[in-house]
Amino acid sequence: MNKDWSLSQEAFDALLDWLDSDREQAGIKYEEIRARLILTFTGRSCAEAEDLADETINRVTSRLSAIKEQFTGDRTRYFFGVANKVYMEYLRRKPPQPPPFPPIDSHQVELEFRCLEHCIDNLSKENRHLLLKYYGAEGGSKIDQRKQLAEELGIAPNALRIRAYRIRLGLQECVEKCITQSDQ
Amino acid sequence: MNPNIDKQEIKSYLLGDLEADRRAAIEESIWSDPGVYEEVLSAEQELIDHYITNNLSPSERKQFETNFLITEERQNNLRFGRLLRRYLDSQTEIPAPAKKFLPFVAGPFSRGAGIAVSAAVVASIAIIVMVCWVSMRKPQQHAVQEDASHLVKVQLAPGSQRSEGVTAQRVEIPPKGFDVRLELQVSNTSFRNYKSELIRENNSLKTSEELKAEPNGAQHVVPWTITGDVLSPGDYQIRLSGVVDSGQDEFIDNYSFRVTK
Repeated sequence: MNKDWSLSQEAFDALLDWLDSDREQAGIKYEEIRARLILTFTGRSCAEAEDLADETINRVTSRLSAIKEQFTGDRTRYFFGVANKVYMEYLRRKPPQPPPFPPIDSHQVELEFRCLEHCIDNLSKENRHLLLKYYGAEGGSKIDQRKQLAEELGIAPNALRIRAYRIRLGLQECVEKCITQSDQ
Repeated sequence: MNPNIDKQEIKSYLLGDLEADRRAAIEESIWSDPGVYEEVLSAEQELIDHYITNNLSPSERKQFETNFLITEERQNNLRFGRLLRRYLDSQTEIPAPAKKFLPFVAGPFSRGAGIAVSAAVVASIAIIVMVCWVSMRKPQQHAVQEDASHLVKVQLAPGSQRSEGVTAQRVEIPPKGFDVRLELQVSNTSFRNYKSELIRENNSLKTSEELKAEPNGAQHVVPWTITGDVLSPGDYQIRLSGVVDSGQDEFIDNYSFRVTK
């Protein structure tokens, strides 16, 4: 395949149609596939994980008309197979250096902190309580506090972990959005 | 979660320390089991938190820095983790939900507890009335007074070895709900940021990684605000390191103090 092949809107629409006839569901599936690809490449120590994920998606999309006719099975997993081929090619290329840490700007840190406060204030009372109690505990008290919190909410410790993860993920997205808006 | 994959294995996977066949097994699960995928992402957050709070072994820290932090996305996640830790450290206490108090009020032996709750409610109303009264009289001074009234400042001079007869600085145990601002005197202010660790009897109680030096009169201090309820009577030590531009740590000094009743 030509590596410089770029994803046109028409080709992207065709990919979404193949993933799911419902456009919203197709969009969700696309994001999930891309996130899994990034995780897979990162797990194999590829510093350019995002680029390799996009390369995989482009490769599937460019051959979509042939794939539609020949392939039957889990469409999501098809990407995993292509990712393995992309990875083998990556290994043959010279691996790039990991990106350097960006310099820390104290004004930016303060902006981030203000955005975080704003986003935490906008959490529901329950989610805020869960976040502060789950991540607030340190040292030996952490295990007991999380166990107590799980009992309080009537859920298993693992379910609590996933719930805390989702709240934190949403919070991080909120902070990133707040910073972007402040920069504009 | 897939019973064939445990938390330790996911941690090794994230640190790039897993045999190829086990790594392939985890990858298979990531693509076939949505639960495993979310588990791995959740484990990423935990790993970042363990790195920030210095809860990884030296070899794990090295793997984290060389194998885990290879993408910009993960570096951003680490940055967010530090931000969240800073916020959590700035909180005086965790608000508890109202339902937690219900057993006290409705329980079979609730009379004493009920009186205590009533007293607390009366006291809270009195405090609110006082605060409102003060704020109406002096609106510009309110924030300053409130901050000042909940913060105990302690300035500490460096000293790894205390000579005989010289005792560590004494600090009275702070009232409940108060923060303690530890001001660590430093002479070298060229570091990008500072890392500190609060130690008692060889146990690490608290760490912070994003501290900054600031002028304080003719000197410079690294301020570190911790919640007062971390401290109980006894001897404490703070280990301070500076972080140079390349990201490497350099030990600066220890600071000792004794908390008394």
